Amino acid sequence: MAAIFGPEANLGARLVLLAMAGMATLLVGGWIVLPRTDWLTGRGFPIQQPVPFSHQHHVAGLGLDCRFCHATVETSANAGLPPGYTCMTCHSQVWTQAAVLAPVRQSLLQHRAIAWNRVTNLPDYVYFDHSIHVARGVACESCHGRVDRTALLDKQHSLSMGFCLDCHRNPAPRLRPPDAVFAMGWQRGPATPSPQALMRLYHVGDRNLTDCTLCHR
Amino acid sequence: MPPLKDEVARLPPAALAEAERMARQDGKLSAALAHPLERRRILTLLASGAIAGPLGRCDPGAADRHLYSAAEAPEGIVPGRTERFATAHLLEGHARGIVVTHRMGRPLKVEGNPGHPASLGGTDPFAQAALFDLYDPDRASGPLQGGEPVAPARVATMFAALRADLAASRGRGFRILTEPLTSPSLGRMLDTVLARWPEARWHQHAPLPRSAAFAGAMAAYGKPLSVLPNPAAADVILGLDSDLLDAWPWQLPAARGFASRRNPVRAPMSRVYAIEPTPSLLGLQADHRFAVGSVELHRIAGLLAAGLLQGAVPADGPPWLVPLLSDLKDHHGRALVHVGPHQPAALHALCHAMNAALGAPGNTLTLCAPALHHPVDPGTDLRDLVEDMAAGKVETLLVLGGNPCFIAPDFLAALGRVRRAIAACDAPNETALACGWYVPLAHAMEAWSDARALDGTAGICQPQLRPLYAGQNPLSVLGQCLEAVPDSRAWLRATWRDRLPDDRAWQAALAAGVIAGTTFPTLAATLRPAAASTGMAGTGMAGTGTAGASPGLDVSFRADARLGDGQYANNPWLQELPDPLTKTAWDNPLRLPPRLAGRLHARDGDLVTLGIGDRRVTLPCWIVPGQAEGCVVATLGQGRRTGSTARGVGTDLYPLRLARGAVDIRRVGGRREVACTMGQAEMTAEAGDILRRIDLSDFQAGARPDHVGGDGSLYHRAPPGPAAWAMSIDLNACIGCNACVTACQVENNIPVVGREEVLRGRVMHWIRIDRYETGSFSAFQPVLCMQCEQAPCETVCPVGATVHDAEGLNGMVYNRCVGTRFCSNNCPYKVRRFNYFAFAAEERRPPASRNPDVTVRGRGVMEKCSFCLQRIAAARVAHDRDGVPEHAETACQAACPTRAISFGDLNDAQAEVRARKRSPLDYALLPEQNTRPRVTYEARVSNRNPAAGT
Repeated sequence: MAAIFGPEANLGARLVLLAMAGMATLLVGGWIVLPRTDWLTGRGFPIQQPVPFSHQHHVAGLGLDCRFCHATVETSANAGLPPGYTCMTCHSQVWTQAAVLAPVRQSLLQHRAIAWNRVTNLPDYVYFDHSIHVARGVACESCHGRVDRTALLDKQHSLSMGFCLDCHRNPAPRLRPPDAVFAMGWQRGPATPSPQALMRLYHVGDRNLTDCTLCHR
Repeated sequence: MPPLKDEVARLPPAALAEAERMARQDGKLSAALAHPLERRRILTLLASGAIAGPLGRCDPGAADRHLYSAAEAPEGIVPGRTERFATAHLLEGHARGIVVTHRMGRPLKVEGNPGHPASLGGTDPFAQAALFDLYDPDRASGPLQGGEPVAPARVATMFAALRADLAASRGRGFRILTEPLTSPSLGRMLDTVLARWPEARWHQHAPLPRSAAFAGAMAAYGKPLSVLPNPAAADVILGLDSDLLDAWPWQLPAARGFASRRNPVRAPMSRVYAIEPTPSLLGLQADHRFAVGSVELHRIAGLLAAGLLQGAVPADGPPWLVPLLSDLKDHHGRALVHVGPHQPAALHALCHAMNAALGAPGNTLTLCAPALHHPVDPGTDLRDLVEDMAAGKVETLLVLGGNPCFIAPDFLAALGRVRRAIAACDAPNETALACGWYVPLAHAMEAWSDARALDGTAGICQPQLRPLYAGQNPLSVLGQCLEAVPDSRAWLRATWRDRLPDDRAWQAALAAGVIAGTTFPTLAATLRPAAASTGMAGTGMAGTGTAGASPGLDVSFRADARLGDGQYANNPWLQELPDPLTKTAWDNPLRLPPRLAGRLHARDGDLVTLGIGDRRVTLPCWIVPGQAEGCVVATLGQGRRTGSTARGVGTDLYPLRLARGAVDIRRVGGRREVACTMGQAEMTAEAGDILRRIDLSDFQAGARPDHVGGDGSLYHRAPPGPAAWAMSIDLNACIGCNACVTACQVENNIPVVGREEVLRGRVMHWIRIDRYETGSFSAFQPVLCMQCEQAPCETVCPVGATVHDAEGLNGMVYNRCVGTRFCSNNCPYKVRRFNYFAFAAEERRPPASRNPDVTVRGRGVMEKCSFCLQRIAAARVAHDRDGVPEHAETACQAACPTRAISFGDLNDAQAEVRARKRSPLDYALLPEQNTRPRVTYEARVSNRNPAAGT
């Protein structure tokens, strides 16, 4: 009786095995690795803006507080964007004719909003509240990174659910005293209250911070 | 490839007979068997579904990735927070105070105004759904001339020409047609226009005029007046075809007062009798409900009046009449008789006389001057206008609001003789298209105005935003008969110059929604001696809305409980709202009493022809148990000819209303399935276990609704969180008004699915109001997600999309949901809703009108009541951030006019829900399931008069 498979069938079998291994690799890569790459999370890509606003200059150089522009960060879910009026408190005195500020002047003159490009964008099903995080000692820097070192802002953390959960599962080491929430490059010092003391200060242990319903609704 | 039905045909005869028997029982199966799908096509569909499913679930993300910074920050607006502004929603011209919640300048939710006497914090479904009308893209057409779009400047030119004509003719041939109005400013404007052009005339029309109540008051007291019932003070209430709890201008305070006396745990319980031809909301709450036809109703009212006024003992009345009479007599000063607008003027006069004899005025009801500006009988007023139009006496007609061409077909016929017809309406409706000119009106939320409540309390209605579609304020439309550019706000300020002299008083009135001190004083009217005798003599006459003289068949025309007179027919939220009585949506079947339907061999949905005189209309029928024999109810408002949603839905019955002659009903062949939500979510238990009922005497003797189960589990876990959210629903207070359903729909971005999908049982409402009925007893039961502590849905979800949180909430994680629907199948309460299609994406309202705090669900995702998680989250943040008490109110609770729903934190010692859960009437739904629901009910108590029988 003749063999069912000739010698050339070996090649076919090997090719099938190779293809299966290749597909498994692609699947793992596409499903698990790819979403974690900076390419997909958008980390480290400076975003062009209609006005090349430099956080580095305004925060590190001039020493403006975050709340000078993001005024509602302590009272509302949204941190808030400064109206053109706020820019003009200074820029009606300095750099009054600068070409780069033309869109701001036009915005005020024509009563039209400036369309800034988003740097951080959470999915629509995530309901993040700035005010409660700030009130609980989570620093701006913890999510937005060292904005005082970036001229044109980029996303410095992935802001994936894993990133949020790292802190929600173990908030203690990441909490700061109230006066350091808006500081950049703050380091724990000898006078800093212990993480456990901060947890008690902010009553952070009262709620289960890993409930789905805390952020998703 | 043989079709599927051939497979069935090849079955052995016995199996075929069985299949046929099943098919007869189950309409769905027979539909499936009759479907002409072939196997190959099914496989194709399955394969394409398998491919398209995951693709459809891919979220393309927000196309707009911009953040906009304002040029100048608007005063008082904090991004991400809400602002609230008081105004009023009008019903029949009367104000009911509302507070509109805004986000970033967009009105997104309506709540009741607790400081307004006609709201007391409650709302009705119309006020809740008004936001759809505000954003309705149908309004975007702009002005039309002869049905063609014209530039807005042409409207100004037209008004200039009108002013020139008026100046030449002193207003001869100029007529203004409005609906009854209470607005002092609009009234002042009308008076000014009429004074300036003295030969002009103003007419009023109302689709369902309260002519009988008007004439009844004239007969009884010699002047028009309003009756403000106060059921909170009544121990005995008698409703004669009463609309006490239905939609009328004093519904909300009446319902609140009524409910305050219906739970014996909290206050001595009242006793309610209802005598009516067709079930009303009061009748469905009554302890004794007697279904009698109109003729018999008038006879009984005459006997009652004779008994009350002359002390006569009714000899030939029904057996319950004597006990009822003595019950009323025994509660002098604590009894209330209420009669509805469909009954004739004589009965209204008689009712005034009976109430006076019972000592009701000043106790269980208050009389006050009417809030309407120049109240007249709108029925005759419109008839006068139509006659003048037909006689060619009307040169120019200005229709200000309303839709007379739809509600009065004779008006439409006479319109052709009017040289210049201007329709100022809120949408391009039938009237707008029939008139030569259409001037878009601003929505009530876009215009400066004022209005009075039924008790006279005035309030300023402030615009909530600039007109979205460039509509004009009614004040400025009318003002253009006087001058080119009227200023509505200045006119309003001038009207209230005396009461609100400065900006401070003005701002305070705007913020409060009411103007202090404007409530009318109680009217000390004396009954005319002749009132009772004229009443008793005249009770035999036919009432308004009653057509035909054929004995034993009486057609009653009533407003649709969801659509009003048809003005809300283009609102999909209200179209899909199940009717309180029949639970039908998207249609207006003719309501037949069971025996008449039996005689016609008609089932629900069979087409019947209703003929009055020489006019006939064919429509499906619906059998209403509890409707008096010989009484046929036709609901008005459907069958609109314009509007993206309204067009082609239901049947227009206005043409029949004017007909006179013999009434004739016959069944014609064919059916039109009527979408009905009743029975679509059946719980597996005896109805008596689901809706528990107890007699007041038994309750006072110590009987309690059984507590079954609860702690029968070995495996018990209680959520550990700091708050324990829970709800208690008082079945004695629920009047089935649907305010909660609509409020939930608006708050939670719940999509509308349409008639076809409702027929398939896919309605999306997170809260449904079940109705139970045995004999003359009837009750409503709102059912929403029970937030079980041991939730059966959670254990069967393969992807962990429904999970519990520490505060006892059963959460849905939409992004995890893969749409297996296991949870829905395992839910004993059947409260989960599945997005079979991308319902939300198909809505025709702009996305900007959605609540930004709630995820919009996509296709293939399960959803259900979340206890208004977004409101809980806001309360949680406010508590943790600002240290204020963690107080959350769900949308359904806030909307409820009777406070039937109580929600709060069980760990909060002050929470009302905690006290209500300790009520001896408290029980859980399906306790044998051991789900430990966080929602419980207070059992329904009946306060029956043993002498009055069943």
